[in-house]
Amino acid sequence: METLLELKNVSKTIRGKKIIDGLSFDVRAGEIFGFLGPNGAGKTTTIRMIVGHMNITAGEIAVCGVSVKENFEKAARHIGAIVENPELYKFLTGYQNLQQYARMTKGVTKQKIDEIVELVGLKNRINDKVKTYSLGMRQRLGLAQSLLHDPKLLILDEPTNGLDPAGIREIRDHLRKLTRERGMAVIVSSHLLSEMELMCDRIAIIQNGKLRDIQHVHGPARDEKKRYYIQADDNQALMREAAAFKKMKVDEAEGGIELSLQKDEVPDLIKHLSDNGVRLYEVKAVNKSLEDRFLEITAEKEEAQHV
Amino acid sequence: MFNLIVNEWIKIFNRKGTYVMIAILLLSAIGLGVLTKMIGETDQNPDWKKELMQENKDMKEQLKGVNNPALEKSYERSTAINEYRIKHDLPEDGDYSALSFISDASSTIPLLGLFVITVAAGIVANEFNWGTVKLLVIRPISRFKILLAKYFTVLLFALALLFILFASAGITGLALFGAGDGSQVHLAYADGTVEEKSLLLHLAGSYLLNSISLLMMATMAFMISAVFRNSSLAVGISIFLLAMGGTVTNLLATKFDWVKYILFANTDLTQYFDGSPLVSDMTLGFSIVVLAVYFIVFHVLAFGAFTKRDIAS
Repeated sequence: METLLELKNVSKTIRGKKIIDGLSFDVRAGEIFGFLGPNGAGKTTTIRMIVGHMNITAGEIAVCGVSVKENFEKAARHIGAIVENPELYKFLTGYQNLQQYARMTKGVTKQKIDEIVELVGLKNRINDKVKTYSLGMRQRLGLAQSLLHDPKLLILDEPTNGLDPAGIREIRDHLRKLTRERGMAVIVSSHLLSEMELMCDRIAIIQNGKLRDIQHVHGPARDEKKRYYIQADDNQALMREAAAFKKMKVDEAEGGIELSLQKDEVPDLIKHLSDNGVRLYEVKAVNKSLEDRFLEITAEKEEAQHV
Repeated sequence: MFNLIVNEWIKIFNRKGTYVMIAILLLSAIGLGVLTKMIGETDQNPDWKKELMQENKDMKEQLKGVNNPALEKSYERSTAINEYRIKHDLPEDGDYSALSFISDASSTIPLLGLFVITVAAGIVANEFNWGTVKLLVIRPISRFKILLAKYFTVLLFALALLFILFASAGITGLALFGAGDGSQVHLAYADGTVEEKSLLLHLAGSYLLNSISLLMMATMAFMISAVFRNSSLAVGISIFLLAMGGTVTNLLATKFDWVKYILFANTDLTQYFDGSPLVSDMTLGFSIVVLAVYFIVFHVLAFGAFTKRDIAS
């Protein structure tokens, strides 16, 4: 897949403080890339450097192969973005707002504006002043302005903020469509982990301005191990027998044990435990949520830093 | 560039404040006309020469007690003009026509300046206050061009207001005072002598010279707007400087010579054509150079701040 955004060793220093430290990652065409991190981790700063709000202290950012530093005007042509809340001209109508942005990029026709308005579902209210809009409608209008010039890279800071569940679902479907059908790349930042999990293909976790990890969201491959939780009447026996089975590492969990197994091994372990007189109450796969993984990763690194 | 200016123009003319400004400007032009007409209705005093002589005497008396160079200069000018009127039989309230009124209406230019400054101070800073700058600078257009378009829009807005003032004063003048016969003269006082000048020329000149001071004040407000990124601050500082700058400079001018390098000592170029310069060794060329230097400095600051600095929430 074509790489649409490339960050190479990007750093940002503000007043002697390193906000972003050697950040590198790629975003490819057709994927939704999540940007996750605790508050103040540097998500918005990174986005601001990509869209040209902030100068890049060191490193290189390229959009469709064009350096943002050296040729911003050309790079910006490929970018559509909402940075933080979509703040639009409240004294203008939704349509007038879109016209403002249409005039600033070559080749945005009236038909294009109408098409985008239809797409984001603002047709009925587009000629009302933006000050009468709800947050959700402003969010839709913000999305509309970011799509006007058919960008290849769409950057959305908290896109579901202020939307109702139906609206969130709708945005998600839009983004899927844009990436799958038009081959766009979308970068989404959000503090809603569950939201990110449903929406993104890959998620970068940043903390203290550094990239911690990039996770593929759609689960591990078939032969990979999964975590299982087991409960029995006698936990000590369970512990002992489970440990004996293939010499596995067993962890204590609330009212039972937890261990990592391949799918094929599960029936064997159950048989082994039953044969050895352990009465099983419950065996279940523990689906680690992104939240757990996120907390795990950020906590690990935090500890490592304090040592 | 044209599209960018259209955008700015739309943003200015979709806000109520702009129409309030234009309404006030129209009202003040018409109001001034009605007022002038009402006062002018009183019949011409046949003893106007005596009156002017008395005036001159009074001014002389007043100057005896005090040591105030500024007042002295202003009285000197009035006295000379009064004497000229008596000598050449030119009553003050002679034929008053539309042209005379347009010339008098140039006294509302400071009001117009106030409006232009308000717009100039807001044009960059408002984008920051509204948060809209975030979506503005991500377009495939350099920040330099965006700022340049904003500056041109301020200039266009100033021209538009000048045109509105000129037109409304012209119409009011024609309606109330008639076209006149074009023979009126303006009495200018320069280098200690009184000169008769064509009123039309004087009118064009005074609008032009006033526009230069308008341009400088608008550019200053624009710079403050781009540097501080806060519209209330920009409007506040600009209007404060507009209101106090001239007065303080005039006060200081009586004591210090370096005052001639202050912007406000040079914005009023009419001092070289009608009246006397603030500091005696100032010349028209000197003022033009000083203004040009300020103009460049303002722009370097404005463009430097807008194009180089980060935009953080």
